[in-house]
Amino acid sequence: MALTGKRDRRILWAVSVPMGLLALSCLYPIWFAVNNALKDNKGYILDRFGMVNDPTFENFITAWGRARFSEYFLNSVLVTAGAVALLLVTASLAGFALAVLRFPYRRLVFVVILAALMIPVQVVLVPFYQTIIGLGLLNTRAGLILSYTAFFLPFSVYLMTAFYAALPRELTEAARIDGAKFWQVWWYVMLPLGTPALITLGILNTLYCWNDVLISLLVLQDERTLMVGITALRGEYTTNVPLLSAGIVLAAAPIVLIYLFFQRRIVAGIAAGAVKG
Amino acid sequence: MAELTLTGVTKSFGGVEVIRGVDLSINPGEFVVFVGPSGCGKSTLLRMIAGLEEVTDGAISIAGRVVTDEEPSERGIAMVFQSYALYPHMTVAENMGFALRLQGVGPANRRLAVEKAAKVLQIEPLLDRRPAQLSGGQRQRVAIGRAIVREPRVFLFDEPLSNLDAELRVQMRIEIARLHRTLAATMIYVTHDQTEAMTLADRIVVLRAGQIEQVGRPTELYDNPANIFVAGFIGSPKMNLLPARISGPGQVQLGPLTLDLPHLATALPAGTHVTLGIRPEHLTGNTGTPVVVEVDVVEELGSNAFVHADIAPGLPVVAELRSRPAPGDWVTLHFDPTRLYLFGADGQRII
Repeated sequence: MALTGKRDRRILWAVSVPMGLLALSCLYPIWFAVNNALKDNKGYILDRFGMVNDPTFENFITAWGRARFSEYFLNSVLVTAGAVALLLVTASLAGFALAVLRFPYRRLVFVVILAALMIPVQVVLVPFYQTIIGLGLLNTRAGLILSYTAFFLPFSVYLMTAFYAALPRELTEAARIDGAKFWQVWWYVMLPLGTPALITLGILNTLYCWNDVLISLLVLQDERTLMVGITALRGEYTTNVPLLSAGIVLAAAPIVLIYLFFQRRIVAGIAAGAVKG
Repeated sequence: MAELTLTGVTKSFGGVEVIRGVDLSINPGEFVVFVGPSGCGKSTLLRMIAGLEEVTDGAISIAGRVVTDEEPSERGIAMVFQSYALYPHMTVAENMGFALRLQGVGPANRRLAVEKAAKVLQIEPLLDRRPAQLSGGQRQRVAIGRAIVREPRVFLFDEPLSNLDAELRVQMRIEIARLHRTLAATMIYVTHDQTEAMTLADRIVVLRAGQIEQVGRPTELYDNPANIFVAGFIGSPKMNLLPARISGPGQVQLGPLTLDLPHLATALPAGTHVTLGIRPEHLTGNTGTPVVVEVDVVEELGSNAFVHADIAPGLPVVAELRSRPAPGDWVTLHFDPTRLYLFGADGQRII
């Protein structure tokens, strides 16, 4: 659509300016973090907002080594990968069961899962913490993996159920006639067909798990995940902003890389969900 | 021995009985078509035979073995769905060979079986494509191919041609008939299209409200419908069904016409309400009671025409004519007593 008229051009401006400001508000913090991560403390104090003059990677080295980011990074990777894998398998199985299988109280189960979506994490923190202690899962990665799975499962199950419910029922019936047992129907038909939804879900859950501070702070108290490590870089009276910035850049990098890598699949996944053929 | 036997088969959803005690015996190699209006339970019955719906009561046997509680894959059946139900993430060959893969057949033997079936259906060039890259007709062929590969005792077709356009439907219909002859397998075919039923079937099962109305060869149902429902359902355009009254021994009053029915053996009291039936092509003979009508609407088909007219107010008829009248023309129709059907108030046929 060519915008030629004066009125059209005015509309273009009216839309572009707020959009531009919005984009700036998202991009500026990233620029701020990267820019300051490359300064030393002196450079930062002398000129907080200016462009870096003499870039140094010292902050990254310090963060990775002395601030134990390498350990935190490993924790975050293991916990996120474990939780996301567990979430995808569980959500796909539960979605298959709720959308396709017929069993008593199927609707009730779904409603209970939906209800769990409405409960904020903060409300259940105390009983959750006691359960973790009771199960002996405090300070274990497995404990954090299970916790993430529990907290993010309702949404995941909801999404997979909705996705599978939109698939033609005949597909599972055809598989049954072809001789597929329950697990085979899931493995050969439902799991591959669920790929677009599972990729979207994988990305979302990776974001949630990777960026979480609250649950991680409670469960992994001796060790830390990256996000908790970053918050620990903030002192009570002073904060080494360049070091903190370097930590933030390190923590955000994997997520940005995942996004860039999966960008096409994410868009395809969303489109596949929107227009079912 | 019958290939498939249904004995008192019943199905209820909640408290609603959708299949009410169906008894049926199908011979080996027979092509049986279940036909009936929407909601008559024909698809449900087929799905019960397939094992996709549980049987509330009664028994299903295939080749002398009771399979009522067996898994679909253990019944020796294969099914072709209306929506094809091809696995979108698998190639045509993988789709067709899926059942064999689950049985643990090796890739080489699987490929052989798939190629053999593909040859029958002439879909060999499509084997490495995915369902999304195929046309509707090709998808349906693949779905049939998937059934053939399993070498089942009984093929089940659930309205397989409903999603195809008219031309393709005729073509696939011929192919299915040919396939039946080649494979000599037992086939059960569900459709609401009575043309498909008439052209394909060895025997037609007419269903209504979960019950069998009549079973018979297509021409048998056409010529000798047991009741008003079958009379109205089989035949296109449908039989003219007109309200009439017994006016005396061997006489029926149809609007202004008095028709002699010398072969009406049953003595019905005068004044009894009956329904008189006559097929559109039987109104254009030269014998019987003539009636002159004004043509209302003409459906021109080229070789013949279906003419809509009223023999009296509230008594519309359709007649098949070879001539080409125009709306407003006057034509003479004949009620040939030998071609007339008479149905009682209960819908059962009297003559």
